Amino acid sequence: MARSASKAAAARRNGFLIAAASLLLLIWVFPLIWAVIVSLKSESEVLAYPPRVIFEPTFQNYSDALFGGVSILPSLVTSLIVSTSTTILTIIIAVPAAYAFARLRLRGKKWLGFYTLATQMVPPVGLVIPYFLILNKIGWLDTFQGMVTVYLTFSLPFAIWLLVSYMEDIPREMEEAAFLDKANRFQTLWHIILPQVRGGIAVTVIFIFLNAWNEFLFAVQLGGNTVRPVTVAMFNFVSVEQTLWAKLSAAALVAMLPMIIIGIAAQKQIVKGLTVGAVKGGGRL
Amino acid sequence: MTAKGHVSLHGIHKTFGTFEALKGIDLDIQPVEFFALLGPSGSGKTTTLRILAGLEAPDDGRIMIDGNDVTGTQPGERDVAMVFQNYALYPHMTLAANIGFPLKMDGVAKNKIPDLVRQAAARVKIDHLLHRRPGQLSGGQQQRCALARAIVRQPRLFLLDEPLSNLDAQLRLETRVELKKLQRSLDVTTVYVTHDQEEAMTIADRMAVFLDGDIVQVGTPDEVFNRPLSVHVAAFIGSPPMNLFAGQLEQGAVKVGDYEIKLPKSPDHAAGDVTVGVRPSHIRLSDHGLPARLYLSENLGESMLLNFLVDDQLVKVRLPEVRRFAENETTALSFEPEHIHLFDQKTGLRIGS
Ligand SMILES: Nc1ncnc2c1ncn2[C@@H]1O[C@H](COP(=O)(O)OP(=O)(O)OP(=O)(O)O)[C@@H](O)[C@H]1O
Ligand SMILES: [Mg+2]
Repeated sequence: MARSASKAAAARRNGFLIAAASLLLLIWVFPLIWAVIVSLKSESEVLAYPPRVIFEPTFQNYSDALFGGVSILPSLVTSLIVSTSTTILTIIIAVPAAYAFARLRLRGKKWLGFYTLATQMVPPVGLVIPYFLILNKIGWLDTFQGMVTVYLTFSLPFAIWLLVSYMEDIPREMEEAAFLDKANRFQTLWHIILPQVRGGIAVTVIFIFLNAWNEFLFAVQLGGNTVRPVTVAMFNFVSVEQTLWAKLSAAALVAMLPMIIIGIAAQKQIVKGLTVGAVKGGGRL
Repeated sequence: MTAKGHVSLHGIHKTFGTFEALKGIDLDIQPVEFFALLGPSGSGKTTTLRILAGLEAPDDGRIMIDGNDVTGTQPGERDVAMVFQNYALYPHMTLAANIGFPLKMDGVAKNKIPDLVRQAAARVKIDHLLHRRPGQLSGGQQQRCALARAIVRQPRLFLLDEPLSNLDAQLRLETRVELKKLQRSLDVTTVYVTHDQEEAMTIADRMAVFLDGDIVQVGTPDEVFNRPLSVHVAAFIGSPPMNLFAGQLEQGAVKVGDYEIKLPKSPDHAAGDVTVGVRPSHIRLSDHGLPARLYLSENLGESMLLNFLVDDQLVKVRLPEVRRFAENETTALSFEPEHIHLFDQKTGLRIGS
């Protein structure tokens, strides 16, 4: 009897959770659905009031956004270059840095660690002007290297600290065993550590790429006509006289697409990566 | 080949912060010897092993392997292999890759590795599991894999840190025997850390007893068991360990309470307070001796372990046969005079031979 009672309680709890999750999902997904609907309407249809539920869908906005006079295609390429470079450079620098923080006995490690974290505590808005001045001085405004460097200042501390926590999870003995087996530091990092933090690296890559792809504030201030990521380029459809809502929605959805694909493709890795630290002693493969 | 693996430690000091983990230890381990480091928890056994391996640097002292001073060298340069207490297998590699890793790092030709791996695995009977990963193995199989990884490149020195402590009692006894046989067949110097004195007694050729960062005795299991050099060793070795009593040394005899035991040989020591040690198997039940009351009797199947109370002190007696005893039965305990150990009460050091 007690058993059926607890079963009923579990079922009730489940029902509640499902209802809550559905509600959250609905709130979250509503703007997205709205954007999809808007992107399929003609510009005049969009402004019709009250909004019509039944309309004739058109893909004109998509082809305009991609191939029209103010195409976002070049800026998609720009976004891809900036995000990919940022991600690759971040990983190349953050992996050895994280290893050093996790394992080496360095003088001033604590202090350095705090310093690295402190850069994350400054509100980004406060950095726009200093960065502008610095980039201006060295002539890196509106350049790829300028944008990537600025993004690195945010992605590196984040990536380092994420990776440190993954690396600290690996028992020291495993490395010591490798040292006794005549592996040097680099071989140990390569053969023993890296394969075991693959999940962590995947998570880091995804987060860094997402952040770089979504970034707007610095892109709009420090980029220009040469470096114009898609987040900025979307403003082509917003002007003083009018906002082309349908094309803007279409462009936004196109810009979102890579993120959604990555999210779905890497879902398993992300969940695994995020929980690996939480489940102590769990099988890390 | 046989002269390989001579190890000596000279005056090794190691402090962690302000804590003195090793207080200047000296050790000489002969080639091909199976040498155990025995001692209670925290006595510095693992630290010693890690210093031997090069994973920890001593603050002071020298480490010699086969006549070379290796004190400042890296672990990889010492040609030693180690089995860690938690095995430290690489979870992302198959057993074959785990066992082959030292060969790969050592620059052994790629086409030779599989054969060597299979041979090493066969020695510890896990050659049918080579395609699995550590996570898919039982604890015993993991332990064997760690052994195989250690023996595969035939090191100069073989270091084992409590390799059996994660196995269940049954498996521990079996593996103990196999380990000893393996070591014999490999002819490689082995240093074996354990806190289990029975394990050390059965497996080691010689052993060093650690206590609070010092080595208090080095010798064969027989020597350590039969001639403990201090009261601490006496209290640590044997299961159950030696019974210790406060006594008085007199001319040719020792007294525990009113019970006087004639000594076969008068020790060269001033009369006075001593500690008297007797192993449980060297006490007899008789009609004269220390008056004792039975507190609890434990039937071990083939023998009995009797717990007596002498005044308020618990005294353990091992009886070679099984008998029934009534609780609270009173009797007298007499000691076999030739098996009495005497220790100075102040210094704790052994008196006489
Ligand atoms: N890295 C370290 N930092 C600080 N103290 C340490 C460190 N390693 C060991 N110690 C201390 O040194 C002492 C000896 O440690 P060690 O590991 O050698 O003991 P042990 O004899 O192997 O004990 P056990 O049987 O419990 O493994 C312990 O008191 C331990 O706390
Ligand atoms: Mg230990």
